[in-house]
Amino acid sequence: MSAIGTGAVYDRGYRPYEGGRGGRGAARFALYKASMRRALGIRRTWRQKVAPFVLLAVVTIPAIVNVGIGYVTRNEVFDRVEIITYREYVGVSSALLLFVALVAPDVICPDRRQRVLPLLFARPLTGLDYVVAKAGAIVTILFAFSFLPQVVLFVGNMLVSDSSLDYVADNLDVLWKVPLAVGLLTVYYGMIGVAIAALTDRRIVAGAALIGLFLVTSITSGILVGDVDNNGGSPAALINVLALPLYLRDVIFLGHVDPESPLGGVDNGGWYALGVYVVVLLGAAAVLLRRYRWVER
Amino acid sequence: MQASAANVGVRHRLADSPVVADAGDVLLLQTEGLTKRYPGVIALDDLTIAVPRGRVGLVGANGAGKTTLFRLLLGLAHPTEGRVEVCGIDVATDPIGVRSRLGYMPEHDCLPLDQTAADIVSTFGELSGLPARAARQRASDILDLVGLDEARFRPIGGFSTGMRQRTKLAQALVGDPQLVLLDEPTAGLDPMGRDEMLALIARLGSFEISVLMATHLLDDVQQVCDHVVMIDGGRLVVAGTTDSLLERTGLVTVDVGTRGTELVAGLQLSALRSVATDGLVEVTIDGDDDLDTLRDVIADLGLPLYRLSTRLTSLDDVFLSRAGSMR
Repeated sequence: MSAIGTGAVYDRGYRPYEGGRGGRGAARFALYKASMRRALGIRRTWRQKVAPFVLLAVVTIPAIVNVGIGYVTRNEVFDRVEIITYREYVGVSSALLLFVALVAPDVICPDRRQRVLPLLFARPLTGLDYVVAKAGAIVTILFAFSFLPQVVLFVGNMLVSDSSLDYVADNLDVLWKVPLAVGLLTVYYGMIGVAIAALTDRRIVAGAALIGLFLVTSITSGILVGDVDNNGGSPAALINVLALPLYLRDVIFLGHVDPESPLGGVDNGGWYALGVYVVVLLGAAAVLLRRYRWVER
Repeated sequence: MQASAANVGVRHRLADSPVVADAGDVLLLQTEGLTKRYPGVIALDDLTIAVPRGRVGLVGANGAGKTTLFRLLLGLAHPTEGRVEVCGIDVATDPIGVRSRLGYMPEHDCLPLDQTAADIVSTFGELSGLPARAARQRASDILDLVGLDEARFRPIGGFSTGMRQRTKLAQALVGDPQLVLLDEPTAGLDPMGRDEMLALIARLGSFEISVLMATHLLDDVQQVCDHVVMIDGGRLVVAGTTDSLLERTGLVTVDVGTRGTELVAGLQLSALRSVATDGLVEVTIDGDDDLDTLRDVIADLGLPLYRLSTRLTSLDDVFLSRAGSMR
């Protein structure tokens, strides 16, 4: 005897939600997570995953090479060869500028272009929440992508050194200098990227504007500063938006601006750099808060 | 159920009253002297309404102030004058609290095209304060409810207009709101898609979700809404239950076969206005006494009475006559 099907089709209807519910904080965190997923290409096509992870691989290569050389030469009698220092590695992270130019517009512009903002602001979110969530997501990823290679470098150097404990003891300062320098750099690039992306609803325009800003200020600064070797540095170096956080990096690692840098020899150069840094960040924050002052008066 | 209880409590008031709810009703929204002025434009002008829970149609021509009212309800704009309460909460003092209780479906396209319906709806569930797991589960349930269970893992970019409208409705419902604001929910839909969307909206009442549906399609309102608020040029035209507005023609259609002219003459003697058209007689009635008079005239004349019915206007008639008299 054949079995008779006993299945039934039910209209599940609608069940009200009776569990706990978060407020602004939960909404902000949800937007932060969604922005992180978007930036990393998670739950998107494979093409969107390529750029972030290729860039992560690229910025990690110097650390791997450095550790590899250390491993190969671990039994040699001559001093260990270091092709890159922790301080210099912070500079490598400025390659993530390309990542910012790709990702910040992708996370920001479609919300305006595809008119998602009215939906977002119909939730328990304010303009400040939106800015914090979006900028926070970009800065978090930038920080992770800048910090992870440093961790690889540190752990690798520690493992190939003669004594791991001695290595850690000799390099304790790195444990606070690297996160601080990387943090300053990523907050800076992230905020500028998000602020520029907020000014347009076209990703290509935002990306080009960001790269253009860095190129133009870099070239202008280079022309104004001139020959650093013969003439020394100049305050005009502060115009270079790309390099500005690297002067602060030098202050953190060296205690002063690198004398061979375009700002070298300028009295109180470190303080000037910090001042311009703060002004740029405040400017970016002002642009964002004005742009997302969603509630009209 | 809340919606039913509210409906029971609704008194059929004069349709020109701005208030359509009794004081004892749990009000869906209430405005007092609500005015919104932009430079050179008055978007809303001294709007005072009180609407009970249920399905409410917000009717007006383009530029009537519907979207402005939605922005004020969501706390995305501040009134120039007056105040507004949604679900008993003053929007000016607690806009976040109001938004936590609302779902919003805009008229325009507003969905990220490269994301799947499941992703979008669950993300908006989280944005409404639901925990991630609950949001994913509810997204699945709600997409099933709106008929997108099969398509939920496809990117929105490949959706038809009807499917996008359903996704927009799903994201509005996923946070389990007390009230959903639907802005032209049937815009761009073919007749079948429109009927399906209206059927979905009609079901929301049984889920204890109130609806405020802005539209200029009065047929849609007549089909699914139990209350109507009509605005024009930012001012209230009329508000009331749909039934009370439709009963306001004051006309009774009488079919007495070929003897219509006799009836008209008889009614003239009784001081009732009437006119014979297309074999029927339309009599202007003002209360039960006039109906009694009509009955007596027909009986006295010995006329055959094949049909006597109250003629209902459409909401279009109501809107055009009321808005016209205001201008």
